[in-house]
Amino acid sequence: MSAEYHDADEVQIASYDRTLMRRLMRYVRPYRLWFAMAVLCLLAASVLSNAVPYLTMRTIDGPIKGADREEIRVQLAEAAPDAVPDLEMALAAQIAVDRSELYGWMIILGFLLFGEMTMRFIQLIIVSFIGQTTMMEMRIEIFSHLQKMSLRYLDSHPVGRLMTRVTTDVEKIQQSIVTGMVQVASDLFSIIIILAYMLYINWSLALVCLIPVPFILLVSIVFRKYARDSYLEIRKKIARVNANMQENVSGVRVVQIFDRGKRNLEVYEKLNADHRDEWLRQVRNFAVYFPVVDFLSTFAIALIIWYGGRQIVGDSVPYTDASFGMLLAYVQYAERLFQPVKAIADRYNLLLEAMASSERIFQLLDTPEDIQNPPEPVRPEVVEGRIEFREITFGYDPKRPVLTDFNLAIQPGEKVAVVGHTGAGKTTLTALLSRFYDVQQGGVYIDDIDVRQWDKDYLRRNIGTVLQDVFLFSGTIEQNIRLGDDSMSPEWVRACAEYVNAAKFIERLPGKYDFNVGERGVNLSTGQRQLLAFARTLAHKPRILVLDEATSSVDTETEHLIQDAIQKLMEGRTSIVVAHRLSTIQNADRIVVMHHGHIAEVGSHRELLALGGLYHTLYQLQYQDQD
Amino acid sequence: MSDTIDTIHGERPVHRADPNSVLKTLWRYNKAYLGRYLTGSAMAIGFISATLMIPLVIEWVVDNLETGAMTRLGLWAAFGALLGIAAVSGFLRYIQRTLIIGASRHFEYDLRNDYFHHIMRLSQSFFHRTPTGDIMARATNDLNFVRMLLGPGVMGLVNIVQVPATLGLMIYYSPQLTLVTLIPLPFVCIMVYGFVMYNHYQSKRVQEQFSVLSTRAQENLSGARVVQAYGIADRESAVFESESRKYMRESLKLAIAQALMWPFIGIVVGTLLVIIIWQGGGMVIAGTLSIAAFSAFLICLVMLAWPIAEFGWVLTLFQRGIVGMNRINEFLAVAPDIRDSDRTRRDIAMIQGEIRFDAVSFAYGDQKVLHDIDFEIRAGQTIAFVGPTGCGKSTVLSLIMREFDPAAGRVLLDGVDAREVPVRTLRDAMGYVPQDTFLFSDTVWHNLTFGRAEATQADVDFACEVAQFAETVTELPQVYETLLGERGINLSGGQKQRLAIARAVVRDPRILILDDSLSAVDTHTEEEILTRLKAVAENRTTLIVSHRVSAVRHADAIFVMEDGRIVERGTHMELVAEGGEYARMYERQLLEEQLEETP
Repeated sequence: MSAEYHDADEVQIASYDRTLMRRLMRYVRPYRLWFAMAVLCLLAASVLSNAVPYLTMRTIDGPIKGADREEIRVQLAEAAPDAVPDLEMALAAQIAVDRSELYGWMIILGFLLFGEMTMRFIQLIIVSFIGQTTMMEMRIEIFSHLQKMSLRYLDSHPVGRLMTRVTTDVEKIQQSIVTGMVQVASDLFSIIIILAYMLYINWSLALVCLIPVPFILLVSIVFRKYARDSYLEIRKKIARVNANMQENVSGVRVVQIFDRGKRNLEVYEKLNADHRDEWLRQVRNFAVYFPVVDFLSTFAIALIIWYGGRQIVGDSVPYTDASFGMLLAYVQYAERLFQPVKAIADRYNLLLEAMASSERIFQLLDTPEDIQNPPEPVRPEVVEGRIEFREITFGYDPKRPVLTDFNLAIQPGEKVAVVGHTGAGKTTLTALLSRFYDVQQGGVYIDDIDVRQWDKDYLRRNIGTVLQDVFLFSGTIEQNIRLGDDSMSPEWVRACAEYVNAAKFIERLPGKYDFNVGERGVNLSTGQRQLLAFARTLAHKPRILVLDEATSSVDTETEHLIQDAIQKLMEGRTSIVVAHRLSTIQNADRIVVMHHGHIAEVGSHRELLALGGLYHTLYQLQYQDQD
Repeated sequence: MSDTIDTIHGERPVHRADPNSVLKTLWRYNKAYLGRYLTGSAMAIGFISATLMIPLVIEWVVDNLETGAMTRLGLWAAFGALLGIAAVSGFLRYIQRTLIIGASRHFEYDLRNDYFHHIMRLSQSFFHRTPTGDIMARATNDLNFVRMLLGPGVMGLVNIVQVPATLGLMIYYSPQLTLVTLIPLPFVCIMVYGFVMYNHYQSKRVQEQFSVLSTRAQENLSGARVVQAYGIADRESAVFESESRKYMRESLKLAIAQALMWPFIGIVVGTLLVIIIWQGGGMVIAGTLSIAAFSAFLICLVMLAWPIAEFGWVLTLFQRGIVGMNRINEFLAVAPDIRDSDRTRRDIAMIQGEIRFDAVSFAYGDQKVLHDIDFEIRAGQTIAFVGPTGCGKSTVLSLIMREFDPAAGRVLLDGVDAREVPVRTLRDAMGYVPQDTFLFSDTVWHNLTFGRAEATQADVDFACEVAQFAETVTELPQVYETLLGERGINLSGGQKQRLAIARAVVRDPRILILDDSLSAVDTHTEEEILTRLKAVAENRTTLIVSHRVSAVRHADAIFVMEDGRIVERGTHMELVAEGGEYARMYERQLLEEQLEETP
């Protein structure tokens, strides 16, 4: 049951929302001058481009049609032989005049086109610049916000969903808000300017031309509605088809052993057929829409020819000064006018989709950080490393506490091993120290300062944490040790790796410290990852060490290296180790045995063994074999 | 995921599809719809001819207007003719689209069904080496590409006929002017090609940077614990910001190229217009071309533009479609290796439940998991397998269910090689409760009767009773009709396991297999369930894999496995007395219990 294929079910139809729009506009506002310039360019481009039909009209009706020239030709055809040379000379002269006029128009046309394209180019660049920049800013904002969220939040929100916010949703907003708004402006300008040209040239022909417009608008709106409804249905159905296949593939063992192949195929076929039928409906929608719009366009041409023709013939009252060139120009204008009319419904839908995306994004941005830095964060110069858990009560679910009235004080430099059965609350203890979660009662103190008063990042930087499963970032070994700290010298990185016995295996890797960790096929073993994590921790020079020992077994040689490295790591540091190794326990100053969220026994290895209580049982269960 | 599979399975599957097979598959699936494609193509002849009438009508109108011969009736006739042409070609286009695009949707349906059917018949070895994502990608993206080839692709290809037809008409009007029109074409092609190449190159860079960016985000979210533990959130944000900036710069480069491309095309088309008006106008002025023909020529030019622009798109559709078909064919060419063959003894209709392993070895790729396993289980016995993770317990079960065939040796059921038993008969005899309970997002009832759709209410009630699931069912909001999964409710781990047991019991199988399937229920319930299972079918063979002594102690025999070998075998008492691996395990378990019971 993968979320990926079910996500489409989430498709929402948002409504136009003003507050949302206003908030979105805030991202564009810093660029409003640029925006204005883009709009100006657009306006200019529209004026220039729509002058083209007009110019062709003037060219055709002027030099190409050449009324005077054709008149001479007619005369020439009927002329008496003696008049021919004169007429031929006149014709040649007229042809020259027409030609030069034609060239003149063509040069103007050329400049016009060039001007239009320049304007479009500038406008496109400005718009992409604004779009890309705002998108980047929004993305960074979302990312930084997510970085501040607590583990509690991140644990309860699937990574895939959050990724969608950073990627797809941002992209959608860019597409439809920035590009979309410019397009809407462009459409409006086109309509107004074309209408102006048409009305200026021949207002009655223009009015006749407009007859199909309401039909096109109506057809487009109705079609978009049907197409959109159908499209949402399709998305839902294809999501079901894919989710079903995914489920069957994931559970293929059960399907095969229970001999369900045939029956499951029937279910799948049914879903598949639903999807196909919905598509066939959609195909029909399109199959009707395109020809109808085509028909209406040709209808406009027919109207132009019929009405314009009558004007030319002199049959119609309001305006009689029509020409072929004009007819040709109107055919072009009609086409250009219908484009934006057809697109209106589409643009609106796109806007709605962006609304849904922005709603999700803002929802995320509006979630407050639940573990906040105090108003006056403390950053002590010297951290001694005294730790105290005072009267702590904590539960991931407050109703079910994991730790109750818990007390523990650790002196600077002391090494404490925490042992206990699964679920005793050992890992929780370490998480509270770094303030991954806030306690419900009591307080965690480091150097007698409540962790809630510390600067969050400063606190965590002073605590070196090694987790059970080591997380490696894609990048080189060196990058994984530095974790972005450029102040470390390469020598320091190497020295740390050397000290915790990681250098040996690193030196054997191709590229050594430049070896790329995430690369396909080659992976580091669990033991190697552990050693790498030690180097990482050591490199950051923490005052306090928190170590959650991994339980997974490694080969004897690596085990030796790890044991040695742990001793070195703990040296001179206040250390809390959730211990699974006998060697770690034996080297600890104090062993704390936890049981059901409280401390059951405290003492040294010898003392506790002699006690014959919980520790004794634990020892037999977990550590004895290591002896 | 794929990494581990690659490393386990050194070699890639041997199934290479030859280019011919693409055509063969397309033909096989589409011959049923041949009529649709042909009729759809015939429509093209109709509407292209009709469309070509438009310039002719315009020519006629302009000519008559020019000579002053145009009458009112003539204009009405032209009006009617244009509307008629539009109506006819619109109708024909409607039919074409419904037929051809419709056919592509039918094809998609057929192929998708067959793909599903085929995949579901493949054996476990296929699923071991193929990530689910790959299987899904071929069923979604690739299938869509093939569909696009047959729908819009074929339609576009057919409609390209409009290009030569229009060109013919243009030559009829003026060969010289047609030539002028065609001269810039090669240059345009070269320039457009250059743009497309750059576009492709830069898109890839943008894509790469995008994946850097999303990997960064993804890692920071997955590795949030590390990021927070080292207090480096700000630093990471800064890195993300700089990567974001890089992405923006790359995107902007692409945007500029595209911003340049459209005006460029505009200029080329504009220049062409200028040249034609200049040349054509000159010809009219010189008296070598009539103004009517010139007007008609201009109309033709407009009609030519769209199909040419579409051509490039159609080409990509074909290219992607062929690649997609190839990728689908690769999987369709994988033969299911577990199936009935000539060796199958079809007379075997029933299995009693006697199981024997005769020197069985097995390996996943290079990694040997079982070495020379020998054992014999009599029908009706309860046998337990214990041992550390990865010792081969589950593989033994897989071999019994014939999900794989052994590399060496024989698995015998009722004394017959499993490879000779009809797969259907074999599987019908099995009641399997898997380790990771897999339930379908369907109703509880459908999940329970998953292996036996014709089960009665009494059967199901009884099975739930045995599996200790009956009480849970009555507490569910819609009882048996409650939906599970994404759109329904989520059961707890223990409830899922009990449902899975009930699901197996409903089948009333000869061999019941519990693959560590009681780990999420407490020991007390576990014991209860096992006792009832035993009671309801005395003569049923039961195989139990477990980490818990409590689950296996009552078995007729316990096989202790280590590194693909059986190292100890015997009853609970015998093994404890023996003081070996099992005895140690038992001891630890006692300690665990002791710990758990400490307040």
